[in-house]
Amino acid sequence: MRWRRFQAISALAGLSPDCLERLAQVMVRREVAAGEIIFLEGNPAHGIWFIAKGRVRIIRHSTSGRIQAMCMASAGKCFGGCPLFDGEINPASAQAVDDVTLLILPAAESQRLTRTDPHLARVLLTVLSQRLAHLARLSEGLGTQTVACRIVDCLLAYADHAQSPPVVLLTHDKLAILAGTTREVVSRHLARLEANGLVRLGQGRVVLLEIEALSASRPMDAACVAAQIRRARE
Amino acid sequence: MRVTLETLAEVAALHGLAPQTLERVAQSATLLACAPGDAFYQQGDPPAGFFALQTGRVKLYRHSGEKAQILAILLPGDCFGAESLPDDAPCPWTAEAMETSTAIYLAPDRLRQLMAVCPDLQVALLELVSSRLRQFVTLVHDLAFRDVAARLAAVLLARVEAEGTVTAAGVQIRRAFSQQEVAAMVGTAREVVYRTFRQFERDGLLKLSRSHILILDMARLAEVARRETR
Repeated sequence: MRWRRFQAISALAGLSPDCLERLAQVMVRREVAAGEIIFLEGNPAHGIWFIAKGRVRIIRHSTSGRIQAMCMASAGKCFGGCPLFDGEINPASAQAVDDVTLLILPAAESQRLTRTDPHLARVLLTVLSQRLAHLARLSEGLGTQTVACRIVDCLLAYADHAQSPPVVLLTHDKLAILAGTTREVVSRHLARLEANGLVRLGQGRVVLLEIEALSASRPMDAACVAAQIRRARE
Repeated sequence: MRVTLETLAEVAALHGLAPQTLERVAQSATLLACAPGDAFYQQGDPPAGFFALQTGRVKLYRHSGEKAQILAILLPGDCFGAESLPDDAPCPWTAEAMETSTAIYLAPDRLRQLMAVCPDLQVALLELVSSRLRQFVTLVHDLAFRDVAARLAAVLLARVEAEGTVTAAGVQIRRAFSQQEVAAMVGTAREVVYRTFRQFERDGLLKLSRSHILILDMARLAEVARRETR
């Protein structure tokens, strides 16, 4: 595999051609259909998964079969790296949201390369740190905030801010799993936001018309949202 | 104050570091003290650097306005702070001393310099961030799938595991937390915590005294902690 294929993967941007060449020699490509499980909670980790195309959600199941998403990773990002540095067992499951193309950096190679290549270790540290901040916000949302607030958190977190106005490509059902509520509740709240002129709803999409008004409900995070938008537009 | 290699040896997370890395960390680190109620860093601050708690107790929490969610309670040996550095993002939470606390501290620019030349330090940070990530996944799971009684039981069991002491009457934990803090750990209101404690007492799971919580039935408390809502 030629390293130029990696150019779509922003998580690997900044790595030297040498490093990318090494990655190309050891990475394995895999296609997964929408809805399929990529790995299961409790199983040993295979490696670090980079997303070339599509989106993946990291989920936990309750004993009665309910689903709560920890986060959703989109093309260019990676997931599944955490167990390689802690316990070897997946803390959650991964499921394809769309038809996805993945590149796996096998566990043994991941371990070896992160110990020898400071750039790769830095990339992973950045991704895991971002995930940590996201989970902290989700915990706070679930523990102290209203459903309405969590839905807005999700809209801001998963919007494609490179577009103007930003668009969230998710069904109400998928938003509900990310926000920790039901589809009916999401639909009701989105209808209210639309009536107030803050969003426009379409089939499987939410257009964010008033970013500032939407982020006003979480003033502490306004700077984070602004930084996220700036990065997306660079 | 100078940090010695002996001081660093008390931090389990740094045990994997090469001797020359430890030497460099010792040269760059300082000791930082924090009074109860003061913060090592606040949510929204610029990247804070690396801290390894030496004495005392620290809570990590996120808040919007009045309401806070406690994410973790740290004891001596635990590390915190480095998670915002790689991304150059604002601190995602506040780290506040619950009692007089001291920490081994690496300032952000020192940490950046060391990370650039010590790959083993980056691996140690990856391990720290990964284990915190695993803990947060459990926290989200509990908040999403478990009710207040189950979450309170889980919080108590976690305290037992971290700092419980065995007495003739059963395992006990020090009441080093206000009811408000317990509520912020569980993710609910103070009154609800109060009611749930009373229910646990009536059910014979535990007994509250002014200074301690005595766990009378660990097995049943663990059972309550595992229970998920439909």
